[in-house]
Amino acid sequence: MTIEMFEKPLGMRDDFPVIAKQKANLRKQGTELIEQAGYELLQTPTLEYYETIGRISAISDDALFKLLDSQGKTLVLRPDMTSPIARVAASKLLREKMPIRLGYYSNVFRAQKREGGRPAEFEQMGVELIGDDSLYADAEVISLAWDILKQVGVGSARIVVGHTRLLELILADFGLDSEQSSKVRELFVAKNGVGVEQLSRELPISSNKLASFLALMQATTVADWKQWINNGNEEQIKLYHDMERLEELFKRNGLGDAITFDISFSSHMTYYTGLVFECYGAGSGFPLGSGGRYDGLMEQFGLQVGATGFGLRVDRLLESVSPEKIEEPQTLILFDEQSEQRAFEKAQQMRASGKRVTLQYAPAVQALEPFTDLFTEVIRGEALDNG
Amino acid sequence: MDELTIAMPKGRIFEEAYELLVGAGYDLPKELDDSRKLIVEAPNEKFRFILAKPMDVPTYVEHGVADIGIAGKDVLLEHDRDVHELLDLGISACYIATAGLPNTEMDEVTPRIATKYPAVASHYYRSKGEQVEIIELNGSIELAPLIGLSDRIVDIVSTGRTLKDNGLVEYEKIADITSRLIANPVSYRLKQQRITELVDKLREQVEK
Repeated sequence: MTIEMFEKPLGMRDDFPVIAKQKANLRKQGTELIEQAGYELLQTPTLEYYETIGRISAISDDALFKLLDSQGKTLVLRPDMTSPIARVAASKLLREKMPIRLGYYSNVFRAQKREGGRPAEFEQMGVELIGDDSLYADAEVISLAWDILKQVGVGSARIVVGHTRLLELILADFGLDSEQSSKVRELFVAKNGVGVEQLSRELPISSNKLASFLALMQATTVADWKQWINNGNEEQIKLYHDMERLEELFKRNGLGDAITFDISFSSHMTYYTGLVFECYGAGSGFPLGSGGRYDGLMEQFGLQVGATGFGLRVDRLLESVSPEKIEEPQTLILFDEQSEQRAFEKAQQMRASGKRVTLQYAPAVQALEPFTDLFTEVIRGEALDNG
Repeated sequence: MDELTIAMPKGRIFEEAYELLVGAGYDLPKELDDSRKLIVEAPNEKFRFILAKPMDVPTYVEHGVADIGIAGKDVLLEHDRDVHELLDLGISACYIATAGLPNTEMDEVTPRIATKYPAVASHYYRSKGEQVEIIELNGSIELAPLIGLSDRIVDIVSTGRTLKDNGLVEYEKIADITSRLIANPVSYRLKQQRITELVDKLREQVEK
C-alpha cells in the first residue's frame, strides 16, 4: 500500500494552532499549580531502553513503540512518565533530598490497535511525590489533581478512590488464593459485574459470605468498607483508619462530595501497591487521568521508599473543558515599498507595548479581503503618517 | 435528575428490553420502536433512547455518547470495548458454536472457518492450538460449507433450525450468549446513583 502524502503514522496527529493554543493554556494553568505546590518540573528522554523503562512501565508490550539503536539495543518511545521519574529520583543526586517533589508536562507514546484516530502520542501532566509513605502524601497528590481539574474548568469532576493493598487483604479473607484473587481483580478493573457473578460460583466462598462478596463493587463511602474489615487483622485496621482520616481531610477541604470510595476500584497498571485513584469529568467518555501509590516500583531502582503521584491526560482534558474563546486582538500592518520603514517602526512600537502585530508585504497577498478578515485591526502603510 | 442516554439495538432485543424496563416500573411511551426515528425520548423518566445496529451499541457506549446500552455478549466478545458489563439481562439467550456438514473432518493442513465473528473464532481455535484460516462473511454464513468455501462455520445458534434446514450439524459450543446491560466507565461514575438504581430494578425483574 502506498502512503498518501498527507498521511501520518497511525495515531499521530497534527495540532492545529487553535488546539496548540488551548493546550498551551492548559499547560500554563496546570504547571503553575504544580509549581505552587512545591513541585519542580523536569524533563526525561523521549527514548529509553526496552530492558529498563519498557519493562517496568506496566504498559502492555504491544502498546510499546520499539526501535533499534546503532548498537542493536532495543529502545522504546517512553510510554509513561512515572518510571523515568522513579529512576531520576533514585539517582545519587536526589536520593539524599527525600521526600522530593517532581512534576512534569511531557508527551508519551502508546501504540493503538483500534480504529484509526485514537492518539498514540499524547501529553500528560502530573507529579510524583517520592520518599513519603504517609497518608498525607496521598492526600496531597489527590488534592492537587483536584485543584488542576477545577482550575482548568472540568465540569462535574469526580475522583474514585480504591486501595490495592486493602483489597488484596480483603480478598484473602474471603479465602481466595493469589491466582483467584488476580482473576477477580481483572474483572474489577473492567467493572464486569456479570463476570464477577459468574466467577463467584467457582470460587471457594461460603454461601453466607457470597452476598457480601458481590457487594464489594457497590461501595461508595469509607463507612461502606467497614463491613469487610477483619477486626483481627492489624494491617487492615490501620489501613481502614487511614482511609477514614483521608475522607475526613477531603471533607474539610471541600472535596467530600466529589470523591467516591470504591474498594473494588483497581487499576490495570500493575505497579500500584496502595491507594489508587482515577479522575473523571463531563464531556469526555474516557477517564481524565489516574494515579496512586507505587512503593514497589522504587524498589526496582534499589530504594525502599514510598512514592505516590498522578498523571492527567491533556488530550482528554481538552475534550472535557469547554474551550474559552480567547480572542487575542491581532493587528495587521500592510506595507509596500514606500511605507516599509514606517510600518516596521510602528510594529516595533506596538509590540513593545504588548500587542500582537503581523507585518505583511501587501503585494504578496493574493486575496486581500479574506486575509484582512482574520485580524481585529488593520493598518495600511500608506495611512501611517510621515511624522 | 440526570438524563440517561441509552443505546438500544433495534428489533427483537429492543422489544424484550422494553418489556423489562416497563416491568421494572419505568414509565415509557408506547410504540417506541415504531417510527423510523433514531432518537426517541421518554421525558417522564428522563431517558433518551438511541436506536442502533446491535453491533454498534458498545461503540456508542465506549465513547460516552450513550451512558448505558444493551448489547449481546456475542458483540462484546467480538469487539473488546472498554465498557462496564453491569448485568446479565437473560434475554435473547443463544450460543456461539461451530457447525459444518455432518460426518466431516476438518482439513488437516489449514481448515477454513467462515464466520461473522472473526475475533471470537480466531481466539477459540488459537486456544485449542489449531491453525485455521478465518473467512469473514456478513450474513448467510450457512452457505459457506454448502458451496465448499469453508470446513466449518462459527455462528450464533438459537433454535438450531437454520442449521438443520441447510443440512448442517453443530460440532462444538463456544460460549453462551445473552444480552447485557453495559455502561460507559465515566457515566457510571458521574451518574452512579441513577445507574445503580436502574441495575437493581432490572435485576429484580430478571430474577423473577
